[in-house]
Amino acid sequence: MTTEAAAAAPAAQTSTRSIRIWDWPVRLVHWSIVALIAGMYLTAENSEWGWHMRLGHVLLALLIFRVIWGFVGTETARFGSFVKGPGAVLGYLRGAYDYRRNKGHSPLAALSVLALLGLMFAQVGMGLFAGDPYDGATGPLNPLVGVMTADTITETHEWFYWVIFAFIALHITAVGVIGAMQATNLIGPMIGGTGEKAVEVEANQPTPWGRALGALAVSAGIAFWVYLGAPPLT
Amino acid sequence: MTGKTSFRLIAITPAIALLAACGGEAGDSATQPAGDPPAEIEQRHDNFEEIGDSFKAIRAQLESGDPDMAVIQASATDIHERAGRLDGYFPEGSGRDAGWDTEALATIWEQPEEFEAAKAKLLEESEMMMTVAADGDAAAIGEQAKALGGACKNCHDTFRLDDD
Ligand code: HEC
Ligand code: HEM
Repeated sequence: MTTEAAAAAPAAQTSTRSIRIWDWPVRLVHWSIVALIAGMYLTAENSEWGWHMRLGHVLLALLIFRVIWGFVGTETARFGSFVKGPGAVLGYLRGAYDYRRNKGHSPLAALSVLALLGLMFAQVGMGLFAGDPYDGATGPLNPLVGVMTADTITETHEWFYWVIFAFIALHITAVGVIGAMQATNLIGPMIGGTGEKAVEVEANQPTPWGRALGALAVSAGIAFWVYLGAPPLT
Repeated sequence: MTGKTSFRLIAITPAIALLAACGGEAGDSATQPAGDPPAEIEQRHDNFEEIGDSFKAIRAQLESGDPDMAVIQASATDIHERAGRLDGYFPEGSGRDAGWDTEALATIWEQPEEFEAAKAKLLEESEMMMTVAADGDAAAIGEQAKALGGACKNCHDTFRLDDD
């Protein structure tokens, strides 16, 4: 919407402009996770255990990256900027949150971020210990736990993806329903990085690539070390 | 784009994404051949799962440091009995090659002698496990657990879908 168009609109409307909202790493990680979750499901269904584990470690690296980025990334990527207390969530639910005057995750969306990241971490973490040496593939950390512990972990890992899928369905539904109710485009910014916000909202910083590469090196390094069985632990 | 169109697009995209996800899952089973899978696939699956559980029970006792010989003996007997049932579980056409959801490879029917030998080895090692379990010497049981595990691996390496 151009400024003139906004000015011509009824007085209740805010004049808006297009600003940066999500940095590159947040978006790349988001859509890579979408592809990887599909890949993890398909490789498991088709007993492609080698690929299931390789992709699982890529997912592990991305999750670690996202956590690091939550501390060193741009404003809208930082947990400190979007994770709010119960008061803010209640306020959001009472309608006190204005999408035009805020960028980044709403207080409610922040909960969804934490839930999705936490659940995916739990599932990947279980995968690292899952399996049995005499029954096919094993996660690299399987030798660190006893045979019955591994058995319990494996069984939980086998049904837990349903919990993740349920949250993904909730997440996608919420994005659609809230986007429609607020008449605000949530998906566009997650793809292109920019979105329409009230003129007084400051743009997010541009991607600090040096920091992103550093965080990537650390997370890829940790994931690779785990892939090798976390020497000298195993 | 007018407000109204983008409004509709916003509302519709996630719905499509969800439908696509569900459709993908339903379409998955379309790769299987028509008709019911041979009943033996599920029977052998359950049988192997029980063998797996019994072998885990033996190793759990060994790990505990204070192994319960009764559990080990019962588990060894269970493995041995179930090893004897394998003969009836692999009718021709019940492999992965035929399109079924199974990890049984075509090599089972291509190399029948080797497959027989792999089954015989399991019978032999599980019988040996019953013997050492009856003696009750934890160290000897530990050694035999490795030999028994070797019999599993020996067959899986050639006749079961690769795990890497
Ligand atoms: C004679 C060959 C052979 C021997 C010996 C053998 N297995 Fe298997 N096992 C197979 C085959 C083939 C499959 C795949 C069955 C299928 O997917 O239809 C299998 C599958 C399994 C499964 C997965 C069950 C399933 O269908 O998902 C487990 C668990 C298992 N074996 C454990 C063991 C253990 C433990 C031992 C040793 C004590 C062992 N097996 C010995 C051939 C063997
Ligand atoms: C495998 C499926 C998915 C998973 C696991 C997932 C996970 C996540 C996570 C963890 C975030 C937080 C992003 C961050 O701050 O880094 C997020 C945000 C977001 N996702 Fe997804 N997502 C999935 C699918 C989708 C789909 C299909 C869409 C679009 C239809 C979508 C749209 C969004 C949007 C718009 C946001 C930002 C929400 C906000 O405004 O706060 N997601 N998602």
